[in-house]
Amino acid sequence: MRTFDWRDTARIAILLVVAATILFPLAATFLGGFKTSGELRLAPFSLPEVWRFEFYGDVLGNPNFWSYMWNSLFIALLTVFITLMTGAMAAYVFSHIKFFGSDYIMSYLLLGMMFPLAAAVVPLFIKIRDLGLLDTPWGVILPQAAFGLGFSVLLFKTFFDQLPRELFEAARIDGISYIGFFFRFTLPLSTPILGTVAVFVFVTSWNNYLLPLIVLNDSASFPWTLGMMQYRGEFIVEWNKILAFVTLTLVPALIFFLAAQRYIVAGLTGGAVKG
Amino acid sequence: MAEVRLNNLTKSYGGVEVIPPLDLTIPDKSFSVLVGPSGCGKSTLLRMVAGLEEVTSGQITIGGEDVTDADPAKRGIAMVFQSYALYPHMSVADNIGFALKLAKTPKDEIRTRVKEAAAILQLEDYLDRKPKALSGGQRQRVAIGRAIVRQPKVFLFDEPLSNLDAALRAQMRVELAELHEKLGATMIYVTHDQVEAMTMADQIVVLKKGEVQQVGAPLDLYNTPENTFVAEFIGMPKMNLLNGATAARFGGDKVGVRPEHLEISSDNPIVSGEVVHAEYLGADTIAHVQSAEAGRVVVRLDGSHPLQRGSEITLSPRPGCLRIFDANGQSLGAA
Amino acid sequence: MAVAETNNIISPAQGRPSALKRALSDGRLVTVLVFLPPALLLFTLFVTLPLIEAAGYAGYKWSGYGDPTEWVGMRNFEILQKHSAFHQSLMNTVWVIVASCLLQIPLAMSMALLIYRKTWSNTVFRLIFFAPYILAEVATGLIWSFIFDGDYGVAAMASQALGGEPFFPLSDRTWAFPVVLFVVVWKFFGFHMMIFIAALQGIPEDLTEAARIDGAKPGQITWFVKLPLLKPAIAVSVFFAVIGSLQLFDLIVPLTNGGPSNSTHTIVSYLYTFGLTRLKVGFGSAVGIVLFLITVAFAVVYRNTAMKET
Repeated sequence: MRTFDWRDTARIAILLVVAATILFPLAATFLGGFKTSGELRLAPFSLPEVWRFEFYGDVLGNPNFWSYMWNSLFIALLTVFITLMTGAMAAYVFSHIKFFGSDYIMSYLLLGMMFPLAAAVVPLFIKIRDLGLLDTPWGVILPQAAFGLGFSVLLFKTFFDQLPRELFEAARIDGISYIGFFFRFTLPLSTPILGTVAVFVFVTSWNNYLLPLIVLNDSASFPWTLGMMQYRGEFIVEWNKILAFVTLTLVPALIFFLAAQRYIVAGLTGGAVKG
Repeated sequence: MAEVRLNNLTKSYGGVEVIPPLDLTIPDKSFSVLVGPSGCGKSTLLRMVAGLEEVTSGQITIGGEDVTDADPAKRGIAMVFQSYALYPHMSVADNIGFALKLAKTPKDEIRTRVKEAAAILQLEDYLDRKPKALSGGQRQRVAIGRAIVRQPKVFLFDEPLSNLDAALRAQMRVELAELHEKLGATMIYVTHDQVEAMTMADQIVVLKKGEVQQVGAPLDLYNTPENTFVAEFIGMPKMNLLNGATAARFGGDKVGVRPEHLEISSDNPIVSGEVVHAEYLGADTIAHVQSAEAGRVVVRLDGSHPLQRGSEITLSPRPGCLRIFDANGQSLGAA
Repeated sequence: MAVAETNNIISPAQGRPSALKRALSDGRLVTVLVFLPPALLLFTLFVTLPLIEAAGYAGYKWSGYGDPTEWVGMRNFEILQKHSAFHQSLMNTVWVIVASCLLQIPLAMSMALLIYRKTWSNTVFRLIFFAPYILAEVATGLIWSFIFDGDYGVAAMASQALGGEPFFPLSDRTWAFPVVLFVVVWKFFGFHMMIFIAALQGIPEDLTEAARIDGAKPGQITWFVKLPLLKPAIAVSVFFAVIGSLQLFDLIVPLTNGGPSNSTHTIVSYLYTFGLTRLKVGFGSAVGIVLFLITVAFAVVYRNTAMKET
């Protein structure tokens, strides 16, 4: 018989406490959406006496909610597409075509990883305004892609360099062009890294608040982060409605996270530890 | 007519000359093997013929046409790589037919030609598989199939067998030699393995530090090496080189004799010494003999030969099998 | 003899096309000209130029309309230097860094050591601990502002139990920022934990086995074998913690929005509140420049010291 393992028991106990601290506010948020304001005030953290679906229903029936979600999705998908294409194309040049100054150009793009978006946010606002992009999704998409470039070029270049050189040479002998190799070989063979970068760019864009905040004024173009803050402003004391709203916005993020966690972890370990 | 000529070809990397001016002719329909130790420039040379390395100066012609600066795809060559370089995301059929597809060959014709190539290489059953699902030998065949299907004037092989195990390598050597006969194309084959060179080549080119040491048929190189480098490189176990008084007797700086050309006899003694080690291989016995005047000598004896460690033996060369070299290692002829 | 005699029909020098011509003929030049400009243009337009312009605008008093004309030299920086809310925001940012390095990273490391082995239950814990990281910061802030709401959440329960007045920690000068720090740790420790887990999984098993055969106890293995090998990961982790702390903003807005009386601003929320919402382009740019210089100085110094050693 095994003796009582106090080490393992203590380990599990600590893990459960920390896990409870993580899950407690999330559960309270989820449950809060089923309660009336009065019940929420009296018993904020217990199971609801009556499961009321009307507050969730209100949010789901609110066309603004769907417009926020759609805007977020649109912005995130286009940001992913533009970041992947421009980043991968640039990284391909750095990986396959050495020319005088190419190293400097790459260092220039990599510097972007260090520059905080926040530091340039005021001139960026002026720039976006002068380009006529205020209140358009492009005013969010293009700067997001630009600030994501350094990170993606670094990961792409590292990955492209690891693709066997002989593959490129064999294809050259078979008669492929440099551009053809990129589309027919580099991209299809790089799905792991494309997936990783895509997931990161997507999550960053989906969760972005500061940039939409300065670029978008019209609530019709709001992503959900802005929409949520607006909703909170409207229902300042009705926490049950706000909590229902928050829960519904988190659902896609959580589903996405569970589906893509492999890529997220790969990105963290590949991008972070090597960085 | 697909003779390959290298005229005054050189290659430098950032000012360091790895190939000094070099001239070489690969005759039409020959199986030429470039052989040498690693770093001798044989792969660089092959890659320059392929167009994968830029030529620093000089000229390459294939079938009389100057291809020095031509695109790799437009030289009429095909190449088989050491790692096979199969396209991992394509099926075997697509791998083999890829060059034809890029050349905008009609689909039907691609299909027929891929089938033909697959038939030659016994790959018909694997055409729909991805390279991942193939064994090493099958991958090797796909790589060759990819070359065959283009019907190139010249095949280039870059150490294609070095990733295979010994048994498979022996088998592929035979298959490649047969393929050469069947296709009748010019083949240039790079290896560091002199056995591959000896067994497959019509013509061997021995390279050292970017310089051609000797060019010739396998047995010419074996029988009449032009210098000590070739003498030692070709043949296994390698040729014994004796110097000092022994060499002086024959009027040279060094005298070379192959292990298999020595016998235990005192008719014409050249070396005598003590057997320090013997390897019994069954068919042969390889004896290592320590001699006072000539150092360590290796001799290949009949497998049935009873030989005791520590016994003293005297060795004589077969007539005409001694090679004499001068102080620079150049051949002075036979004795 | 198969060695050909030298018969150069074309002499090497005159026959060789230039490097540029070759790059053009084999398609490299076209590839560079098609593939590089989109990234460069995007980056220059939205990253480099705004940063350069920030340096220019910082010398003006400008509302953002028309051209900047009112040159004020270093005035914006002088105002900044005298503004107590800015001092507070700098202090707060320092506190975020301190909490990140001294609370969050040790917590992340402890959790990583507890669950880095690949088992089913560890994977579940890993996912739970990492979940806050992928929540949007605004959503996180909103959730915690509910938990700490004096009329509803934990704070309400606590004050009821003690029989006192309703207590609003997020509106309390003493308690507001500690709550922010708590939420920061809650949200980001999972990220650092993942870095450590990856590094721990990279430590070869035979190393710890060798230590065990040498007689080391589990605690000693951790202290003498694992932690020293984790130095590079810790260096990376600290780097991300500091850079992240310097840019903290989204979380602040729903939690305190900088209040009460500007006591919980970070550098960026200060910049947003005093520079952007009031459209003081020059002043906001000046704050941005300060933030930029701090970030770059830290990154350069850190990379040449801490990251170099490991």
